[in-house]
Amino acid sequence: MTAYSTIGKSIPKIDVKEKVTGRALYAADLKMPGMLYGKIVRCLDHAHARVLKLDLSVAAKMPGVVKVLGPDDIKAHSYNTGVLDLMVPEPVGKMLGDIEDQTVFTKHVKHQGDAICGIIAHSEEAAERAAEKVIVEYEPLPVYLTAEESMQPDAVQFTSLKPGNRAFQLPGEMFPNNAYGWGNVDEAMAAADFVVEDTFYVPKQKQCQMEPHAYIALFDDGGRLQCWTSTQMPKCVHIKLARMFDLPMSRVTVTQTVIGGGFGARLGMIGEPLACAMAMAVPGRPVKVLYTREEDWIASESRHPGKYWMKIGFSKDGAPVAVDALFRSYKGGYYTQGSGVAFTTGSWLGGMYKWGSCRYHGETYYTNHAPCGAYRGYGNPQTNFVMEQLVERACSKLGVDPVEWRKKWHKGVGDDGWCPGVTYPSCALDECLDRGAAAIGWTEKRAKYANQTGVKRRGVGVSVMNHTSGAFPMLLEHTTCTARLNEDATAEIMLACSDMGQGAHTALQQIAAEALGFRFEDIHIKAGDSDSNGFDIGAHASRTIYVGGAAVKSACEDARKELFARAAQYLECTVEQLTMRDKIIYLEGASNRSISAQEICARGVYNFVDAASGQRTGIPGQIQGYSSFLPTSNSPPFAACFAEVEIDTETGELTLIELVNAHDVGKAIHPASVEGNLEGGAQQGMGFALTEEIYYDKNGLCLNNSFTDYKMLGPSDMPKLTTILVENPDPLGPFGAKSAGEAGIVAPIGAVANAVFHALGIQIIEAPITAEKILEAIKKNGGV
Amino acid sequence: MSSRVLPDFELLMPKDLGEGLQLLSRHGSDVAIMAGGTDVLVMMKANYRSPYVMSLAGIGGLDHLDWAPETGLRVGALTTVDQIEQSGAVKQHYRALWQAATLFATPQIRNSATVIGNLLRASPAGDCSCAVLALGGTVVLESVDGRREVAIDDFWLDYNLTARRPDEIAVELRLPPPGKGTGSAFRRLTRTHEDLAKLNASARLDVDGKICRTARLAMGCVGPTTQRLPKCEAILVGKAIDEALLKTLDDVIQSEIAPIDDKRSTAEYRRAVAGVLLRRTISQALAD
Repeated sequence: MTAYSTIGKSIPKIDVKEKVTGRALYAADLKMPGMLYGKIVRCLDHAHARVLKLDLSVAAKMPGVVKVLGPDDIKAHSYNTGVLDLMVPEPVGKMLGDIEDQTVFTKHVKHQGDAICGIIAHSEEAAERAAEKVIVEYEPLPVYLTAEESMQPDAVQFTSLKPGNRAFQLPGEMFPNNAYGWGNVDEAMAAADFVVEDTFYVPKQKQCQMEPHAYIALFDDGGRLQCWTSTQMPKCVHIKLARMFDLPMSRVTVTQTVIGGGFGARLGMIGEPLACAMAMAVPGRPVKVLYTREEDWIASESRHPGKYWMKIGFSKDGAPVAVDALFRSYKGGYYTQGSGVAFTTGSWLGGMYKWGSCRYHGETYYTNHAPCGAYRGYGNPQTNFVMEQLVERACSKLGVDPVEWRKKWHKGVGDDGWCPGVTYPSCALDECLDRGAAAIGWTEKRAKYANQTGVKRRGVGVSVMNHTSGAFPMLLEHTTCTARLNEDATAEIMLACSDMGQGAHTALQQIAAEALGFRFEDIHIKAGDSDSNGFDIGAHASRTIYVGGAAVKSACEDARKELFARAAQYLECTVEQLTMRDKIIYLEGASNRSISAQEICARGVYNFVDAASGQRTGIPGQIQGYSSFLPTSNSPPFAACFAEVEIDTETGELTLIELVNAHDVGKAIHPASVEGNLEGGAQQGMGFALTEEIYYDKNGLCLNNSFTDYKMLGPSDMPKLTTILVENPDPLGPFGAKSAGEAGIVAPIGAVANAVFHALGIQIIEAPITAEKILEAIKKNGGV
Repeated sequence: MSSRVLPDFELLMPKDLGEGLQLLSRHGSDVAIMAGGTDVLVMMKANYRSPYVMSLAGIGGLDHLDWAPETGLRVGALTTVDQIEQSGAVKQHYRALWQAATLFATPQIRNSATVIGNLLRASPAGDCSCAVLALGGTVVLESVDGRREVAIDDFWLDYNLTARRPDEIAVELRLPPPGKGTGSAFRRLTRTHEDLAKLNASARLDVDGKICRTARLAMGCVGPTTQRLPKCEAILVGKAIDEALLKTLDDVIQSEIAPIDDKRSTAEYRRAVAGVLLRRTISQALAD
């Protein structure tokens, strides 16, 4: 294996000190001279209503109030908090039906927490007091909490642009019969020896990032709109704000603050439009907008819930001859990522096994929930819960070992990936399955738990997954990077890739050091400044290391090339004759002929004219490498997960005993960060399977908008957790790396569900699998 | 919707108990009394309003935790759940309370929350409350007119309503000394480990040889207050407790509880597992 200087080493993360000391400055920590506070007044008592009357007169007279703003006071275009419109060509966007159906303040409340008006005041207290004096009269409208309700012909229309409240279905122009797939599913299914089929429910899961949303916006005296935000997509927010307020991009600045977790919650815009709209109303004054946790909950995006039907046909030898599926999701009140999840949910399905034929329908309907958007996995968790349970049911019918079946039928190198036509360049899933099975003691435990009696029952389950590294070719994947060498031979790496806590900037710094041949500490990553950073599509689809890292590598190689070209000139040789050690460039075989990188860089900047000769003393010009990088693949990572659970058959309580998550990561740039990402993902995946769901009363009011009643797994709920990094360098990823950001959440979902099946012989088809559902299922089954 | 901004209130900081009682006699029901603050402050951020908040923090001598074989346990108004958890005496003599304290909320909350605060919150899901009800004992209430003791059985009047009068401070909880054959236990069911109970139960049994002489059984989340289970208790008293006897509780308890559907569970589930939890709690108390 190649010897690297920094790649593959778990050096301390560059932001670790500021994070653990609490000195990191998040947007909520920032204070500016003359700063005002913006309070968004939200509709809390209705999930669907029309505003009949809005009276701001009393609020406006409250002490400390600077301005009150209703829907008619806002001069901004309607918008879409998602970003898919930036990621596809306009005709494709039109075909997909992407629309901009959001406004800063609304007169048609589409979910609890929709924004009605805003108060700008000298203090947060004054803004809150005034907010209490806003008088709103509502006309309640029927509340739709499922697609089946909102699709009814007499239902109130969320927008005239989406008749029947169907926000999205796969467009027929791109997908014949509105379905993704291949082959003749009907024929293959009819010819199948047996089928497994069910309709599952997948829950509305919240990202639960630690930092609630917070912003400062300023329309400054120079006529520039500035926004401080912890978005995970600064450049997308940059252009979206410019379009929304009819400003050229040169008059909009987005400054990215320290991000306290993303997981998709900050994919696109959230409160930036509101904060900026308020700032536009008070030019020259910064306006700070802080979301409470509950606001974050009811007014920002979460995972798409819904009903997920799937049918798989098998031949006697176990071949999966056909898969047919429909994921009908509940969109929430606005379109946002309307087309994205409904599509990708099927792509993860198509990419996993060697289906003889495949047909996936994805559609989403408006409902009166908080809008659904991006959440780690982007449809993959939903598919894993459904597909992997049905595969397990089939293995049970076939009487085959679930690990062996998966090894036989999963796709691999050369097969079409999630996007037909783009093949898998690498796959180490078999090794993941083998090492994971060995680590948990698969064979022994499957046998040991086969015939249990008694109150407590144990089970082990397996699940596999594929994900992606960037969304090429479906979506635009583009990152630009500038690598500027300072005169002391250190480097400034400028790019707009986000570090959301996942350690991306540390890994990018490692990539830069390796590619330049400099020391890790010689590198500084300059990100988060839309003025100085070039284009980057933002942190989505687990792309930051695969695409951003490749951009860094390419820009650094560009800089290094120039460095070597100049060294060759100084040493009067060809670049091929040169090597660099400790930042000194040597002519090979002549150790006395060398020049330091520092001297080349310094002479490029301090390029004086020699008084005696009148000549310049070296080669002028500060070295800058540049890359505008577009990948040619998406090198999906694979994983196999094994879970062991114990179920109390008298109470339905489930205890997680052990989880082994074996991941094909290509090459781990920073192994500790990769493990951390996968462990965090496992925590969220197990939460999806067992405890996490936002739920509503019949009026659409959220019943668990805080951590008191929305239950994530805490430290004491976590099982023994083993993460296995299977390193099989990808031929296309930078230094062989594939993604690890989202992947960890996916396979634990199916593994836990399948462990339940193994323990009880019963499948629970509605997530989360709570004690209540387990006990009910046992009862329905007449015991276990 | 909660807020980072507390509503307007006047903070009262009495220096001693006498001053505190005087303030209460003057302002009475307009005062929210704050000990650990883990309920009051959270409620205030969620729009609970009280013209006055009286902190007990400045009053000395209220954080005692005294144990004596003759008099039993005395728990002060400012004694935290963590103090209970750290106490060897509580662990040895009042196992149910100790177990409740170890499971209660999170370490951070246990450092601040008080046992008496848990009683005063009068939530049917209170873990320490459930243990205290099984253990028996009294709450000492003091006003400018003097002291009175209210048995824990009479302390909760309804959901979020106690026998404390607005001019009184609950200064102490007294638990009787355990007898020779006394054992107790606390158990609960939750969604995750760090959670409010969806069902909790506690038992105190006085066993003589193999015969159960007295039984105090308490259950929470099955009615407006944490409650005793007298019919189940009656089944145990005078008998040797074995599996067959315990199994009969599954049916009997059904007529003693009235659970509802709420955020944490369903009435159906609570009914289905109430007997299981009770049986296990009793078995655990027998093993104490």
